[in-house]
Amino acid sequence: MNHYELLIVADDKQVVLERILQVARYRGFLISGINAQVNTGNNIGTIKLSVRSDRSIDLLVDQINKLIDIKSVKVDNNGVMPVCA
Amino acid sequence: MANEQTLTGGSLLFQVLQQHGVQHVFGYPGGAIMPIYDALYDSDVEHFLCRHEQGAAFSAVGYARASGKVGVCLATSGPGATNLITGLADALADSIPVVAITGQVATAAMGSDAFQEVDIFGLSLACTKHSFQVTDINELEKVLHKAFAIALEGRQGPVLVDIPKDIQLAQVNGVMGDFSSLKNKVKLPPANVGSAIALLSQAKKPVLYVGGGVGMANAIDELRAFIDITGLPSVSTLKGLGAIDPDHCSYLGMLGMHGTKAANIAVQECDLLVAVGARFDDRVTGKLNEFAPNAKVIHFDIDTAEINKRRKVDAAILGDLKVNLPALAIPLSIEKWREECQQMKKDFAWRYDHPHETIFAPAVLKELSDKMPHNTVVTTDVGQHQMWSAQHMQFDDPSNFLTSGGMGTMGFGLPAAIGAQVSRPTDCVITVSGDGSFMMNVQELSTIKRFQLPVKIVLIDNAKLGMVRQWQDLFFNGRLSETDLSDNPDFVMLATAFDIKAKQITKKCEVSAAIEEMLTHDGAYLLQVKIDAQDNVWPLVPPETANDKMMEST
Repeated sequence: MNHYELLIVADDKQVVLERILQVARYRGFLISGINAQVNTGNNIGTIKLSVRSDRSIDLLVDQINKLIDIKSVKVDNNGVMPVCA
Repeated sequence: MANEQTLTGGSLLFQVLQQHGVQHVFGYPGGAIMPIYDALYDSDVEHFLCRHEQGAAFSAVGYARASGKVGVCLATSGPGATNLITGLADALADSIPVVAITGQVATAAMGSDAFQEVDIFGLSLACTKHSFQVTDINELEKVLHKAFAIALEGRQGPVLVDIPKDIQLAQVNGVMGDFSSLKNKVKLPPANVGSAIALLSQAKKPVLYVGGGVGMANAIDELRAFIDITGLPSVSTLKGLGAIDPDHCSYLGMLGMHGTKAANIAVQECDLLVAVGARFDDRVTGKLNEFAPNAKVIHFDIDTAEINKRRKVDAAILGDLKVNLPALAIPLSIEKWREECQQMKKDFAWRYDHPHETIFAPAVLKELSDKMPHNTVVTTDVGQHQMWSAQHMQFDDPSNFLTSGGMGTMGFGLPAAIGAQVSRPTDCVITVSGDGSFMMNVQELSTIKRFQLPVKIVLIDNAKLGMVRQWQDLFFNGRLSETDLSDNPDFVMLATAFDIKAKQITKKCEVSAAIEEMLTHDGAYLLQVKIDAQDNVWPLVPPETANDKMMEST
């Protein structure tokens, strides 16, 4: 199982966080940590998401990127860190 | 030009619908959507009362698929809204543009477990492309425009807008200004045109694999020109049927679990697979790591997330098929391979010389296909009759064959046919159903009666859940668990109760006259075709098996 850190920037819209969590679970990624903040000045949310999976992180990045309120998704750790399952 | 006027939220909804060219909606009223239905009373939008919200959702899907427009459905809160979910999931799986409007309890009551309150906004996350809940009347107009834009933009899909009752009643200055569609947020990477042309030029045995995306992109002319120029042997998915000219010499038929032998063998032997608007669905690929094992892959799609999702590609061509297909249309020197494919097509052609006395469903559907008027819309339910329809009927446009592909939803056919008939009132609409599926939304016969829709229903009746029975016989040692439907109602009497002319046939010699009678009847008609309960759909690729290891009729 591989561990990934995602940095997601999103419009601060209704249920955007639920959408991200739902997509991560459905696409086969376990969530090991989350940190989300909103800049109330520009209504932009920043979400740091730690996930684990045997699947390629590209699958999740592409699916999160498809969500309407998402501005960008980046893999923060430039690759893969093996951790205990 | 902006045209400001004071409206209720409900009236605003219909004004926006009309701005988007919506003439017909499908729905069912209830407590929390009453202000919208009150506004409907004064609207020019025509409402089709279905007899279950699932019927309304599937009618909206059928309307969208047959017309290329957005389908719209309405339901009240709670059970009304949850009844839409299967239809929305179906639309999501098959990328169909639908806008669903749900009533919600008033904002002050939300979150209090009020009567008929359910969190449809939360439930929508897994079955829509996007969803909104409007809690500020001043946002309603903008949200409704966005809903239409999102439903149609990029890879199309369903959008739900949940509107609390107080928002429906609230007064607002509707701006009714111009609206613009969304810009595609996801920047598509540049197409690998150079690599793709190199792959095409080097291929000795290329095959074109066509999916539902071609019809959705309105790129049928471009696809057919691509086939003519390249001469690629071509195969289709279930949802792609109709995109390729079915009479074209290069066309080998549907691939996958119930695909033609020629299509599956050609794909298994090819050295280059050119996938266009297709997603390597498991019903297409069979055992994934043995699918087209020697092939490099060029993948055309509008959705970045489909690239490398199930199969690694060698060249991705993202974007509009209408632009990208012509860019790769080059003549290829593959005469020997073309001849090989055409020989397979000849060798493995369908046979209709059925030795038994009972009616042979593939022959009925072949005859129906030959006799139905040009531009007939055929909808199906799900099961054996669906696969026989895909195998033995021919369509010259994907909007003429509406079947639940990704979701495989029984109960789809009848309400989808209603939607198709509403959108194309002068075209013949036929639903081919099975006795199991038909009963899933049988209440929609009442919608047919109410609106006097001339939908033809061909009910392939084996008094079984036929496809499940087939699998139980083949893969579960004949343990026929809960697949017997011998206590079905009298379907002729049932149709007659809805003022629908109906007839049952049981012998081969009755087929031709019955089809002609049905097609020439002025109005709705149900033709019940009794078949042998032991008939199977062949060929069949067993689960987790390579597509060239198909089971065939003995």
